Amino acid sequence: MGTVYITQEDAFIGKTDERLHVKFDKKTILDVPLIKIDGVVVMGRATVSPAAISELLERHIPLTFLTETGRYLGRLEPEVSKNIFVRKAQWQAVGESVQAIHVVQGFVRGKLKNYRNLLIRRQREFPDLDLSAYITRLEQAIAPIDTTNSINSLRGLEGAGSAAYFNCFHQLIRATEFTFTTRSRRPPTDPVNSLLSFGYSLLRHDIQGAIDIVGFDPYLGYLHCERYGRPALALDLMEEFRPLIVDAVVLSALNKRLLTPVEFVTEPLSHAVSLTGEGRKTFLRLYAQKKQSEFKHPVLGRKCSYQEAFELQARLLAKYLMGEIEKYPPLVLK
Amino acid sequence: MNVIVSYDISEDKRRTKIHNILKSYGQWVQYSVFECQLSDTQYAKLRWRLNKLIKPDTDSIRFYFLCACCFGKVERIGGEPVYDDTVFFAECADG
Repeated sequence: MGTVYITQEDAFIGKTDERLHVKFDKKTILDVPLIKIDGVVVMGRATVSPAAISELLERHIPLTFLTETGRYLGRLEPEVSKNIFVRKAQWQAVGESVQAIHVVQGFVRGKLKNYRNLLIRRQREFPDLDLSAYITRLEQAIAPIDTTNSINSLRGLEGAGSAAYFNCFHQLIRATEFTFTTRSRRPPTDPVNSLLSFGYSLLRHDIQGAIDIVGFDPYLGYLHCERYGRPALALDLMEEFRPLIVDAVVLSALNKRLLTPVEFVTEPLSHAVSLTGEGRKTFLRLYAQKKQSEFKHPVLGRKCSYQEAFELQARLLAKYLMGEIEKYPPLVLK
Repeated sequence: MNVIVSYDISEDKRRTKIHNILKSYGQWVQYSVFECQLSDTQYAKLRWRLNKLIKPDTDSIRFYFLCACCFGKVERIGGEPVYDDTVFFAECADG
């Protein structure tokens, strides 16, 4: 199963027989069986035929629209899951409830522990780096998580931990052509930030898909507060996956020199940096490969890919909220 | 399941139709041979669609099943490489 990325501006997306058919300039540029597809992402503008829309909805394949540079615009979703019990449990835990505090602790702990493990691993790989100060700061943010019972304080710990991590992020980049000083977004103003933002956008598409399958309401989260049109739960569940997937892909793309400064363009006035068509394809391919890569799930004890892990984590969250399991275990990898 | 579908259809128009249906279920590897990876329901649907179309006295379609272990051992020399179905790009060759 794979995701279709339509990066050609002004493409026409249609349906022939049971296949998705993408045309540009009256020429076919893609023709894939719908049974092989589990998501369609349109980057930039595209025309979608009525037949294709109804077929995608019928087959429960979400259609996501991003801008050319990867900013999230919106999404055409199949019918919301009929599983009312999951949504009921999700709504009952809203606010400063015991469950909400527990899952927020899980999200923050998952994210920060993955940050720490990433730093420890880099430290081991490159003995010339000195990351111990940052690792200590991360550990200082991790230690009080389990005893903190207010969501706002947990948000504070998350902020402190992320700050420590991004303060040493530039040391993780081994390619001298690229530098990183601080996280900038809306718009990202350097290549590294632009890759991070692009990666998080793609990750969000996947996580939102997973929580839809499980039957959550994506707009009600615990760590992220409600805001019009913001899929707070998707952002919550994303936290533990950010370092595992996006940061890892960005670092390997840069350090293995799969992307070079030639593949980035800067907009003159806003200084927004984005990828060229070729660079974007390289990055999308790396991201897709990462999603398919397998590891042993520490809680379930069996092999799974990151793609499956999105749904597994969402299911574990549902089980916790419905009282079927005692704890929500965030995905932490060594 | 992994299925190799081969067909022998006497009439051009019908052959095109069969070919078109099979393209929605797997990869075309040779003239009148497809390799498909299908679930049970997908296979049932494909079989039903093909069965409706053919004339049994002049046409023939064969489904050969390969177990997961044998599928890994398929050797292919030349011809179309098997496509990677984890990511698809729709982009013009000239950008």
